Amino acid sequence: MIFYLVLPFWAVALVVAQTVLADVLFSGWLVIEASLVVVICAGFRLNVVRGLILALVMGFVFDCLTGSVMGLFMLVYMVVFLLTFFVSERLVTEKLYIIAFFSLILSLMETLFLLLFYQWIYGINLAGSLLSVFLPQALMVSVMAVGFFYAMHRIEEMIYGKSMHSSQRAGTF
Amino acid sequence: MFFKNFRIVIFVSALFFAALIVLSSQIRQEAGAGFAKKLVLEAAAPLHNALTASIRTIGDAWNRYVYLVNLQEENRRLRRTIDELNSDLVRFREDHLEADRLRQNLALERHYDFKFVAAYVIGREQAALSKTIMINKGSAHGLKTGMPVVASPGLIGRLTDVSWHAAKVLLIIDESSNVDVLVQRTRVQSILRGAGPRSCLLKYVSKIHDVKEGDLVITSGMSNVFPKGILIGVVSGVDRQDVGLFANVRVSPFADFSKLEEVMIIVDETADGGKTKAKGK
Repeated sequence: MIFYLVLPFWAVALVVAQTVLADVLFSGWLVIEASLVVVICAGFRLNVVRGLILALVMGFVFDCLTGSVMGLFMLVYMVVFLLTFFVSERLVTEKLYIIAFFSLILSLMETLFLLLFYQWIYGINLAGSLLSVFLPQALMVSVMAVGFFYAMHRIEEMIYGKSMHSSQRAGTF
Repeated sequence: MFFKNFRIVIFVSALFFAALIVLSSQIRQEAGAGFAKKLVLEAAAPLHNALTASIRTIGDAWNRYVYLVNLQEENRRLRRTIDELNSDLVRFREDHLEADRLRQNLALERHYDFKFVAAYVIGREQAALSKTIMINKGSAHGLKTGMPVVASPGLIGRLTDVSWHAAKVLLIIDESSNVDVLVQRTRVQSILRGAGPRSCLLKYVSKIHDVKEGDLVITSGMSNVFPKGILIGVVSGVDRQDVGLFANVRVSPFADFSKLEEVMIIVDETADGGKTKAKGK
């Protein structure tokens, strides 16, 4: 229960932090999508209910604070979570290069989805920013995911004495 | 698999459906902020402010640190500059003083029609037994034993030992120094003998001779050692109360022997026999 109570505040804090950091480091030129990394991590670690709610809340807060179309990132994050959730049984999260590659693919898929969405719905062509904005963002997500997973492993080893695998998911429905 | 659990399928579908509804409604009417969105913005604002302020504080602290580092570096640079300038100032002051002294010596050279060789004092011996100075010129520069040595405004001694590149000057205040002199005002002739660190005595001055305090004493030119008319000092005291034929006449030399740094050696007297060009001397 605490998870659901804390989640919105935690999501707000995370999105605000990533927005401020992006503003300081890149002057708003790039988005540091730590929220996406959290959703990917949730796909490996949480059960479907907790993970989906986390993705929904994270997407909602992201939509609210970044000024994107309301519901867009809710949908994207939920899709990302489900994709991660489906492949999590077959991926070894201890191998960080796999995590990096997987995160990169997911981030690029998210980019592709956003490009198609804006092209179809609003007729806006964002392909020009693919190399200068979206690709660096995807690479950054990939690097952050490696760091995040590594930190998670270390923390789990410190707390439990061993790191948790995808099969040992936290929480129940 | 989780699909076995029908409730989960319904749950997932419901969430997706909700997200799609929100998305489609947003696309259709471009609606403003809903209540939930307002709540999120309201919650995010203080956090945003706090984070921005923190980062700004860190940035300011960093800038201050960089500024202080620069300030420290600038301070170090300025101190170094001050040290260099002080060093320059000392050097320039020394040069200025030296120039003053050399100017006085040059005036001496212009005053007397002699050929001079200038030399630096490189050592001094003014103990009880002897009062001499060492100079940095010798026979290689044309110096010979017995040559008179002057420093503005007058005579200070003569060369006693000359090597190739150095020479020793016996000062007129040395007890073994004897110079044939005249009291300028009355032309009374006498022998000037050294008598300590800052004084000399006139020997063989009769008590009846007109010599009084303040009279100038110059070389007489009677010996072949010192040219005539070079200033030596001033009579600082005359004592006629002593028993004997002669008065006790004390002379204070013009030169300050403890501060001699540059001297001039008269290496050649001109055809006029060392007569001064000076007026009234």
